[in-house]
Amino acid sequence: MTRSEPGQRPVYEDPDELQRLLIERRLSRRQFLGGTALGAVSLALAACAPTGAASPSAAAPAPSAGATPAPAPSANLGDTLNLATWPGYHDPADLEAFTDLTKVAVNMQVYGSTEEMEAKIRAGNSGIDVVVPSNYAIEGWVADGLIEQLDYKKLPGFVRADWNDRFMDQSFDPGNKFSIPKNWGTTGIAYRSSKISEDISTWKQFFELAGTKYAGKAVIVDHQISSIGSAAVALGYSLNVEAANELADVEKMLTALKPKLYAITSDVQPALRNLDSWMTIAWTGDGLQVGRDNPDSKYVVAADGGELWIDSYTVAADSPHKDAAYAFLDFILSPEMAAKETTFCLYPHANNKATALLAAEIRDNPIIYPSPDRLTKLEYASSATYNSAARAEMWARIKASA
Amino acid sequence: MSAWTGRLARRRRAGGRQGVLALLLLPAAAWYLVFLLAPLVVLAVVSFGVRAPNGGYIPGLSLDQYLGLSTRLTAVANTLALGFLGTVGCLLVAYPLAYVLATRGGSWKTVLMAFIVIPLWTSFLIRTYAWMFILGSNGIPRLLGQLGFGEIQLLNTPFAVVLGIVYNYLPLMALPIYVSLERLDRSLLEASRDLGAGSLATFRQVTLPLSAPGVISGCLLVFIPVMGEYLIPVLLGGGKTYFLGNALADLFLQSRNWPFGSALATSFVVVMVIVVGIYSWATRRLSSPGREGSLL
Repeated sequence: MTRSEPGQRPVYEDPDELQRLLIERRLSRRQFLGGTALGAVSLALAACAPTGAASPSAAAPAPSAGATPAPAPSANLGDTLNLATWPGYHDPADLEAFTDLTKVAVNMQVYGSTEEMEAKIRAGNSGIDVVVPSNYAIEGWVADGLIEQLDYKKLPGFVRADWNDRFMDQSFDPGNKFSIPKNWGTTGIAYRSSKISEDISTWKQFFELAGTKYAGKAVIVDHQISSIGSAAVALGYSLNVEAANELADVEKMLTALKPKLYAITSDVQPALRNLDSWMTIAWTGDGLQVGRDNPDSKYVVAADGGELWIDSYTVAADSPHKDAAYAFLDFILSPEMAAKETTFCLYPHANNKATALLAAEIRDNPIIYPSPDRLTKLEYASSATYNSAARAEMWARIKASA
Repeated sequence: MSAWTGRLARRRRAGGRQGVLALLLLPAAAWYLVFLLAPLVVLAVVSFGVRAPNGGYIPGLSLDQYLGLSTRLTAVANTLALGFLGTVGCLLVAYPLAYVLATRGGSWKTVLMAFIVIPLWTSFLIRTYAWMFILGSNGIPRLLGQLGFGEIQLLNTPFAVVLGIVYNYLPLMALPIYVSLERLDRSLLEASRDLGAGSLATFRQVTLPLSAPGVISGCLLVFIPVMGEYLIPVLLGGGKTYFLGNALADLFLQSRNWPFGSALATSFVVVMVIVVGIYSWATRRLSSPGREGSLL
């Protein structure tokens, strides 16, 4: 593509530096959508912002160091593993523990969106072994042969009974033949209760208030799945709305709303922290982080529906280090390691045993682990939604509209 | 024209040097082939293909992508309109700046010029991000509020996008204008005054025409990259101002429609080649004899 901003290059050229920044700042990986560099600088600069400076609090206490998983069989695993994942998703200590155990160095690459990961592995010969895409990409990747069917014989530590059924065996990968959840999360509403007197609890309410009482103060994310999807829910349709007339209704609503929005951006935190915006579509991590620094900031999973998502471990079909890939999955998916990873990234885990090992303040945090009844109405974005040409064109029209 | 025939003549005279010349040109030729021509060919080839159902690329010979270009006309119109405003804004700020520096700068000239260039040492991204805090509600709007202006939103408006363009691209406009004014033969100004022209008439009839190549170079140096601008609309326009660059980014990174993105990019390249063609024609006409035709 022809993008050529000088400012973006340094960040992309130096993944280590970016990674260091991310780890230090504990970024929400989702705020990276639409430009990895934007997110990296956002928090770096948020520290200079007049108010609401990001101040990552000390990490929650690590779960009691349980039994370390049994060392992998002494097969020759090679010396490298290339992991394509999200920013702030893995504790470097966990990756080092794997290296200590197996002598395989984990080379982590972070991406701002599933789409960016897809561009890499679709091009082929990426060298990537393990990828962590969101649920909606998996069907297409399987159909196009981008990821391989998992060989569970190489995952001796995997116990299906330990896993939460709400996140396993879903329609995008029946029987989890190709993917195993890493962490999951919700797409909800974050708002500043010091400015917003209403208790916002539904998408219907969010979009009504965004266009009326709080015009100029609302943000929607720059990702058609979440923004078109949430607007569809507000109108009483499915997150995965497909019918032309229903899509037309959503487009009409969003086009009318656009001039009244504060912004369309996936980097939702700076404006919410500065009170430039008062309410926004947000992902779990955004809600958690802004709320930690601003007690008046609330995050709610809408009662009328919305998006539930899972990022899953998959093995690239052209992975050059398959044995290392399986050894890594077996290691990182053990309940002990899964709990450590969750304590680091603060996104909920789908393994019940891992959840049980978490500190109470994480396990009982309603933003991280909403009560199960909150999840019943949520939907997974489908592969059709992800790949829909109609939705892509509609999103371009909405963004281009005056 | 003359350089080319001259080179040919020299070659004829000393055919043995041809091999050396070819050898010397090889790295540059390879560079252009690999980093300019090859990507453009790939872009053009992909633009005739079709998007696979899951976002891949199916080779083909279809014109569908080009027929769909009209769906991005609003983005093109936005880019042209705000790009034009940004370029004019740059010109209005840069010309007086360059003029004062070139004519009144004295011994401070170089130092003052350095001040214009120094911001370029910081990342474009960071400078633009900094404007988010200057224009955000805790920045200028708060100051204006204290002065009794009421609530004003500056950030995430087309105005902020134009401001971002003017700020970021100002050096690219100021430098060529400065160079053309600096080289201006002072005796021409004296002659104009001796012949009875006032300072305004001198400026209009002597200074301005002689600095026109610098102005045109500056305008193109600003306008062309602004046409591909992606970051400023995202950061300062809040994603509400949709440029061609944003349309391209979305096509490659959100909807993964490589063929359509390629068609849009290819068309953009063609249009830009035409614009640059018009530019070199215009500078050749405007530049006086003995002066370099292009400052690009």
